[in-house]
Amino acid sequence: MVNENLVKDVVKEPYKYGFVTDIETEKIAKGLNEDIIRLISQKKEEPKYLLDFRLKAFNKWQKMKEPDWAGLGYKQIDYQDIIYYSAPKQKEKISSLDEVDPKLLETFDKLGIPLTEQKKLTNVAVDAVFDSVSIATTFREELAEHGVIFCSISEAVKNHSDLIEKYLGTVVPASDNYFAALNSAVFSDGSFVYIPKGVTCPMDLSSYFRINSGDSGQFERTLIIAEESSSVSYLEGCTAPMFDTNTLHAAVVELIALDDASIKYSTVQNWYAGDEEGIGGIFNFVTKRGKCLGKRSKISWSQVETGSAITWKYPSCLLLGEESIGEFYSVALTNNLQQADTGTKMIHIGPKTKSTIVSKGISAGNSINSYRGLVKMGTKAKGSRNYSQCDSMLIGDQASANTFPYIKSQQPNSEIEHEASTCRISEDQLFYLQSRGIEFEEAVSMMVSGFCRDVFNQLPMEFAAEADKLLALKLEGSVG
Amino acid sequence: MEIIEKIKTNKSIDNQTEIQKICLDKLQSSPLPNPKSEQWRLSNKSKFSNFLGYSLDEKYPKFDTPFPNTSQSTIRLVIGNNCQIDLIEENYSIQKLSQDELDKYIKVQISCFDPNKNWSDLLNLSLSNTKNILGLKINGSKIPPIEIFSHSSSNSLNAKTLVIFLEKNCDVELLQVNLGKENSSLSQSTYFCLEENSSLNHGVVSYGENRSNLLNSLNVIQQKNSKYNLGSLHFKFNYARFEISIKQSEGNAKTNIKGMQITKKDEQISTYTKINFNGPNGFLDQINKSLADDESHAIFEGSIIVPKIAQKTDASQLSRNLLLSNLAQIDTKPQLEIIADDVKCKHGATISQLNEDELFYMRSRGITLPEASKLQLSSYFQEIISFIPVSKDRWDLLDKLLNEK
Amino acid sequence: MQSKMKESEPILEVENLSASTDNLPILKGVSLTVYPGEIHAIMGRNGCGKSTLSKIIAGHPSYNITNGDIKFLGENINSLEPEERAQSGIFLGFQYPIEIPGVSNLEFLRVSTNARRKFLNKEELDTFDFEELVKEKLEIVKMDHAFLSRSVNQGFSGGEKKRNEILQMALLEPKIAILDETDSGLDIDALRIVASGIKKISNAQTGIILITHYQRLLDEIEPNYVHVMSDGQIIKTGESDLALELEKKGYEWTDNFIKET
Repeated sequence: MVNENLVKDVVKEPYKYGFVTDIETEKIAKGLNEDIIRLISQKKEEPKYLLDFRLKAFNKWQKMKEPDWAGLGYKQIDYQDIIYYSAPKQKEKISSLDEVDPKLLETFDKLGIPLTEQKKLTNVAVDAVFDSVSIATTFREELAEHGVIFCSISEAVKNHSDLIEKYLGTVVPASDNYFAALNSAVFSDGSFVYIPKGVTCPMDLSSYFRINSGDSGQFERTLIIAEESSSVSYLEGCTAPMFDTNTLHAAVVELIALDDASIKYSTVQNWYAGDEEGIGGIFNFVTKRGKCLGKRSKISWSQVETGSAITWKYPSCLLLGEESIGEFYSVALTNNLQQADTGTKMIHIGPKTKSTIVSKGISAGNSINSYRGLVKMGTKAKGSRNYSQCDSMLIGDQASANTFPYIKSQQPNSEIEHEASTCRISEDQLFYLQSRGIEFEEAVSMMVSGFCRDVFNQLPMEFAAEADKLLALKLEGSVG
Repeated sequence: MEIIEKIKTNKSIDNQTEIQKICLDKLQSSPLPNPKSEQWRLSNKSKFSNFLGYSLDEKYPKFDTPFPNTSQSTIRLVIGNNCQIDLIEENYSIQKLSQDELDKYIKVQISCFDPNKNWSDLLNLSLSNTKNILGLKINGSKIPPIEIFSHSSSNSLNAKTLVIFLEKNCDVELLQVNLGKENSSLSQSTYFCLEENSSLNHGVVSYGENRSNLLNSLNVIQQKNSKYNLGSLHFKFNYARFEISIKQSEGNAKTNIKGMQITKKDEQISTYTKINFNGPNGFLDQINKSLADDESHAIFEGSIIVPKIAQKTDASQLSRNLLLSNLAQIDTKPQLEIIADDVKCKHGATISQLNEDELFYMRSRGITLPEASKLQLSSYFQEIISFIPVSKDRWDLLDKLLNEK
Repeated sequence: MQSKMKESEPILEVENLSASTDNLPILKGVSLTVYPGEIHAIMGRNGCGKSTLSKIIAGHPSYNITNGDIKFLGENINSLEPEERAQSGIFLGFQYPIEIPGVSNLEFLRVSTNARRKFLNKEELDTFDFEELVKEKLEIVKMDHAFLSRSVNQGFSGGEKKRNEILQMALLEPKIAILDETDSGLDIDALRIVASGIKKISNAQTGIILITHYQRLLDEIEPNYVHVMSDGQIIKTGESDLALELEKKGYEWTDNFIKET
């Protein structure tokens, strides 16, 4: 294979977010026990129901076993060797962005997420999360005018306790799985979104998660509630510095859509993936689930997963409301020794529900890239439909691409259709592009990008450009 | 565990063969399949224990098949009924394997058995006594079609084992028929070794009766340039599992599979296939169909494994399922595990009921709903049945399926 | 307004028919009467309800009749199954004939022909006799015998599918044939074959409803009446010159009509 090595070189990834911010942080002692949980809860001045929620989850977690069904190979995680709360030292109460430590602002500047009034992104409101805490949320007043609540979840616990108490843990119960239980016990911060009845959120909302310390885990929790006939588009970005140790990230995201509401949740995940030998990198164990509770409600997940040493993530939809719609669009790119086990669950419960799954996996190096999905038609899902398409692209003969679709139907008057295929960048295609004067590197990039087009088309404008850039960056290499 | 105790205390314990001992030993570590493993998680537990529940005693009622009698042009063998065969003709030969050849081959197979994944085979070999193991080597061409019957007697759990070597350049059509008697369990394990350039058209028809159970395992090794076609049909079993493992030991072989399972009442029938490409240029075309009616449950799990060495593999797997009742269910999971990059692999799965547009079109031409459904079903069945060798002209399987109540 | 020579009973009476699918009203009070020997044309924009009307007359299960009646030879057929309607002599020529993989065209034609014959108390035909009959009918649509051995409509070109529809009409000898855009997707030669087929099959005892967008089919088969549909209603009825006027002025011209009656 003439081109094989060249292609491999091309996918070598320079990670440009690997810097560490030198900032004084407040950390609690390593380890996990009831006292630590009480301490976290106390630091966040939480009401009793929340402490109880945490303790109950911790209790369950202790009785659970780390899942192994995905067959991921990784060093055993020592849960007592992790710091569960880490926050940059700041003044007690921050009343405006000007009081935020300039180093933090600079950090987010460098990440391309300027937060200050002068530079902040137009048309996107940002909640910036640094290690365990939320640093700043932009455009709050503008959003408030529309009745939209967008703040850190800690703040929501204080100011919108009724909503938290009503919805937290209703989509992903604490006992759902090992990592969700852990998150429920120790979650530190994350974003909270509430869109009132009939409101179309006037701008995209975005959270940016930054892991800075090497020995802390990040356990954010996101809750989005879209009331009747409302709609919102939410974006999530993640990066972390390069450490030679593994950092644990176990997040939980819960979405709730009522009658005629629509939530679009987009992720560009670019956590540090570890080096070529597989040293370091984030262990990304995430539980994301949306509940289409209302009639004609819609939840759409789109994700571009390029980072993390290990990704274990299945953004799912529970389609309860009649005629509700679930969507999942995913691009997962793995290289070197990365392992990604990702997919979705579409649980059709209500009648006339529809779901669409489009998954594109690209595996290079020695990586393992698996699609794992479940489509289920329950007994009452009359007139429901699912269409799934899972394509894999292999680069080099050391990478693996797996497809594990679980399909179950208990309703004859429903249709499930699944298709999967595997391809590689053919030499003929490369030659054709090159013979038209296109550089090799660009040709590869064009084809990978073309392979992912169906998914990129689903991303919001701001993100689509970023995703394309990210992929191009991943594909940028030392081709002479 | 219970089943192991039962085998041990069975009266044939005194003259247990070495193979039976090895298998029993292996089973000790896994007395029952792991109900949480992928291969067994959907298996109906009470049906499975019903399978194991019957007495191991063998009775010998008169064996009569519901199928047409032997014709002159067909060779018919019934496992367990003194199959003495030693045919040496001008173009071909069919001979029994010597005890040594048989033992040696089975031991090699057992050595790589996993107690959970090959549980059915281990159970089979623990139960099968010498009389119920048939080993053949076949050579030559223009061989008359062969039919091999396995059956269990009522109120018993019986095991039958078949081992066949297809020698180089051999070309044969073989139909295996597994008959389940009323209230009985049959454990059938089959081993084929296709040597270079050999070709086998293999049919498996498993036809149960009231409350009969079947654990059917098929292990095929294909050497290079061999061609293996499998057409299979499983129906009328309270509980049936069909486990297929095919290994293209050096790649460069062709495999075609067309399988079908039909479940009614509260039956559960499942098919598990694992196709392993252990060399380049392998070819697979597989389709599995399920039809589930009443309160039944049909399961298909297929896996295609393409390691690095298997460049230029061309594999396709389709799972087509018809769900005809509100209380029935279908599970399907076609899987791909691929490391080689220069391969063409695809799979697909659908679950639906009969196509409504097609039904309306036929009804608008005056064809009644039951007739229109029958026409659709017959075309659905025909694709598989026409692929089953030997049977298609003589046995009228289509009629059996369509008129089965 | 009905024609002069009305001694006989009507074949089809659609009376103030309203229908919906998924609670969405599609037809909003359509009335139409067809007497033996008549040819009616229904025209209108896409989505006006013409195809729905034809499907409801044929008994498509996706639509609910919310008001009104359909009478065939004086009997109310609202609740008849599609096959009962077909057997009694209602024929729908599909706009998009369905492909049925694996079901042989010959078998399909034979089973449906026999279902109709049984209804008419005629002897059912065995394979041999049916071959004879179908050979004769193939002539009408100039189809090759080879079509019979293929699966129903599978891999047929657009023109072949439409000719297969007319072949079915020839075999089933319906009392009334509703032909839904049978002319669409046909070249001039195929259109002539189809049109002459329709003319050969129809006679003084049968009724025909042609659903079409274009004048060109009506040049071949002159209708007695032309109805213009819009938004689930018949907004104008005239004689064959109405189609010509429509061709000249376009559907925009009909937008100005208020519903008559």
